[in-house]
Amino acid sequence: MENTLSDASSAAIDIVPAQQRVMLEMSGVSKRFGALEVLRDVSLSVQTGEVVVVIGPSGSGKTTLLRCINLLEDYERGIVSVDGEPVGYRLDARNQRVRLAERDIAAAREKIGIVFQSFNLFPHMTVLQNIVAAPVRVRGIPRARAEARARELLAMVGLSDKVAEHPVRLSGGQQQRVAIARALAMDPKIMLFDEVTSALDPELVGEVLAAMQQLARDGMTMVVVTHEMSFARDIADRIVFMDDGVIVEQGKPDQLLFSPRTERVRAFLRRYNDRYRI
Amino acid sequence: MKEFAPLLHGYWYLFRGAGMTLLMAATAVVPATLGGVLLALLQMFGNRFARSAVVAYLFVIRGIPLLVLLTFTYYLLPLTGIDLPPFWGVVVVLACYYAAFMSEVFRAGMLSLPRAQWDAARSLGMTRRLMLQIVIFPQALRLASPPFVSLCVSLVKATSLVSIVGLWELTMASREIVERTLAPFQIFLGAAAIYFCICYTLALYGKHLERRVLGGH
Repeated sequence: MENTLSDASSAAIDIVPAQQRVMLEMSGVSKRFGALEVLRDVSLSVQTGEVVVVIGPSGSGKTTLLRCINLLEDYERGIVSVDGEPVGYRLDARNQRVRLAERDIAAAREKIGIVFQSFNLFPHMTVLQNIVAAPVRVRGIPRARAEARARELLAMVGLSDKVAEHPVRLSGGQQQRVAIARALAMDPKIMLFDEVTSALDPELVGEVLAAMQQLARDGMTMVVVTHEMSFARDIADRIVFMDDGVIVEQGKPDQLLFSPRTERVRAFLRRYNDRYRI
Repeated sequence: MKEFAPLLHGYWYLFRGAGMTLLMAATAVVPATLGGVLLALLQMFGNRFARSAVVAYLFVIRGIPLLVLLTFTYYLLPLTGIDLPPFWGVVVVLACYYAAFMSEVFRAGMLSLPRAQWDAARSLGMTRRLMLQIVIFPQALRLASPPFVSLCVSLVKATSLVSIVGLWELTMASREIVERTLAPFQIFLGAAAIYFCICYTLALYGKHLERRVLGGH
């Protein structure tokens, strides 16, 4: 009897375990560039610790979706929140969108790490300075502590010996790993990856993917835009397929990649497999 | 050699004039630079009113020759009741005039940075002020430094115009010696050599900066 009770109580606790908390919530986001509608009423919810991979043809709105999450791209409709806090807009009492103050938007961005296709390291700073600049100047962390953390992160991405180098002296893969360390130094709640291997030589792709895999294993919530299908299959908890500014289909990696429900996804994967023969 | 005797007698006077030229240029370049940065920032980030005001200012200043501006101010100032010593009057005009050109140099420096740099800074939670301070300015100023030095060279040469409104500096000193010695060729050759030395030194520095900028990319 006692056993049953204890089982029941643990089951009750497990109904909403910590991992199931929503980390990212996008609802009804629409974005246009002039006459072109890039995102059309997109809603996406990502749980804490979940890795969501976004795939789709070029121009389908994947990158814009990612850039809207931390308001690098403004959007005309919809709301985004991370960890329960609005990022760019909040709803007022009459359900009208109100833009947050610049300071609040900057504060919200601290929780969202993003790694770009073209690395975007600051060329006038060394690797270490790139990583500690924001923790020290934005979050007010003492420099010594920020530097110690930066060295830990560089060790994690296998670049301990590059602390004093300038980005221009690093390979693409190394620069991208520094960019990952720089984003992680802010202790983000969620990490966004925008085609981070697309600008790399094929032999440098592996080192960056390995760093991302490590991060996923450590339980980081991640939204990853990529063209690397086998990587997507390995790392994703869920794959989202976008086309023409909408989410066409989403599901578990094996389900979406091997038995897609929609003809649009089937056609995309057929073309992809024809090209890469994986 | 005898022909150059007036120059040998007057060289110290010329050097004193050159000192005044340098003092005037150095005094004007500080507010011109600060004004240039301010105008560039207002044009990039100001509200619509500030942006229009800056554009109008640049449009007017660029359309008027410096000599006209100097002469105009020379006659206008006494009428307005502003009692400014001639040296400071000239410094203000030079600063206002060159601030307009410098703002374009700084703005070009900021605009020539890839948008990705702004994105990266923003995504790390930096406010605009911090982003400008630690990411944008250090890179933009580096890119802007060669044309900035060119403007400084131009400012040094522009100080020769102030002799028209009666201010004493290298060109005025040369004219005075010429009036005494009637040796314009020798004296102005000396003055030209001094101007050249000042400007050439600055230009060499500009070349050095340019090599550094190009080497960094």
